Amino acid sequence: MLVLAPAVVLAACLGLVALIVGTKVLRTRRERRRAALLAPYRIDLLAVSAGEDDAGAHRARLAGADGASRPALDDAMTHLLAKVRGTPADHLAEVLHAHGAIDRAITDLHHPSAVRRARAAQLLGLCGAHQAVARLGEALQDQAPDVRTSAAHALGLVGDPAVAPRLLAAVGSSHRPIPAGPAADALEGMGVGISRALRDALEHPSPTVRTVAAQVSGDGAFTRSTPRLRELLATDPDLTVRETAAGALAHLGRREDVEVLARHTAADQPTPLRRTCTEALGRLGEPSAVPHLEPLLDDPDPRLAELAATALLCLGEPGRRALGDRGGAAADTARTLARLRAGEPIQSVGAGRAGDAAGPGDSGDAGHARAASRADHGSRA
Amino acid sequence: MVALPDGARVLVADDDADIRDLVEFKLTQAGYAVQAVGDGLSAWEAFEADQPALVVLDVMMPGLSGIDVLRKIRESGAPDVPVLLLSAKSRDSDVDTGFAVGATDYVVKPFSPRELLHRVNAILARTR
Repeated sequence: MLVLAPAVVLAACLGLVALIVGTKVLRTRRERRRAALLAPYRIDLLAVSAGEDDAGAHRARLAGADGASRPALDDAMTHLLAKVRGTPADHLAEVLHAHGAIDRAITDLHHPSAVRRARAAQLLGLCGAHQAVARLGEALQDQAPDVRTSAAHALGLVGDPAVAPRLLAAVGSSHRPIPAGPAADALEGMGVGISRALRDALEHPSPTVRTVAAQVSGDGAFTRSTPRLRELLATDPDLTVRETAAGALAHLGRREDVEVLARHTAADQPTPLRRTCTEALGRLGEPSAVPHLEPLLDDPDPRLAELAATALLCLGEPGRRALGDRGGAAADTARTLARLRAGEPIQSVGAGRAGDAAGPGDSGDAGHARAASRADHGSRA
Repeated sequence: MVALPDGARVLVADDDADIRDLVEFKLTQAGYAVQAVGDGLSAWEAFEADQPALVVLDVMMPGLSGIDVLRKIRESGAPDVPVLLLSAKSRDSDVDTGFAVGATDYVVKPFSPRELLHRVNAILARTR
């Protein structure tokens, strides 16, 4: 047994090396073959994807490709579709349609392979296939999470607002949910037609659905959601929903919301909510927030104090005056962050005074990712 | 109608070969002399060797990022060369950073090649 062991290990290592080399050789051959198949159509692909095919001659050549070239071309066009928009994207979709790729993708939504189903959904989204909306809606309940996410993304690309209620319901599904982040991204691609669906979703029993609806209401400036967002901030049992509502109110930007947000920076509020509302006061951009932010500079929570200092720098001259030449970690950190966001190299950034800071960039996009991520990880009471 | 600066040199840097080929094709068809490279270091070296009239930079590249290259260009002896950032990073904060470091324009991917050409034409027409 002891004599055999080294031989077995050696054989396993040699087998592994052979597998790696063999895989690499096969991959290289496949790539060379693919390049050879695409070579005669390279100029046609470039012309169509660059929007240099108004007369349609290059599209006609691509549409007429057959045999082994066609799958390689379909693959290349799908990759290009993800990189361009406008007329070139429409033309690439036209050729894919001529190749029957869209019909095959609709059929593939029921393929036994989850990878094929996900790729089919992706292609249908990239092609803006309105005829596939119903099937993509069904795919939101696919057993494979990647397929559900791909279907959500595709529905966002197609942009049909009629499917918004179904998308929101899928977020709240206990059996086969879709992640909040992709759902929010998809909804944001659907335009103003989702306003009613969002307002309904702000009443949904699922906190994840309410979070997504609040997030999208803010990002899309759906102002008719504002009264409900104020209620959610004040009374929702889920802290993530309250924080997201605060972030949304900052985006929707009404002066009267200064008091609404400031109320929730009080010491009796949960710390994460206090921090979010403090940040939101800065993003709201109303100088009337300055008296509410100043006392927070001395808060025992150092992160809150830093957020208050950063928020003051967002409020123009009144905010900078309130921060003044105040020292301390919070003020210094806020000024440093402002300079980094303004693009100064990190080596040259040091502790400075209020006059050095041109004003920080938008910190709200970090909130988007955080809210969606928190929603995906479940709710907190 | 914007007058095209015929034959003006444009440096294009993107690690995505499809994007690089596509932008080179589009600008060449429009009459520009295009040099296309696949990473930030090559972009900086190309810029130093022969300053172009305009630079199109992808932001996320291996090694030197587009932002790093832009910063080097602005700190160089030719700070006024227009630089258009072409990036999949679309958040407000990303756009803010690009302009704060000195970008002349910022185009988000997926992009319209025609719109990109119009922006290049307009930038170069203003800088003549």
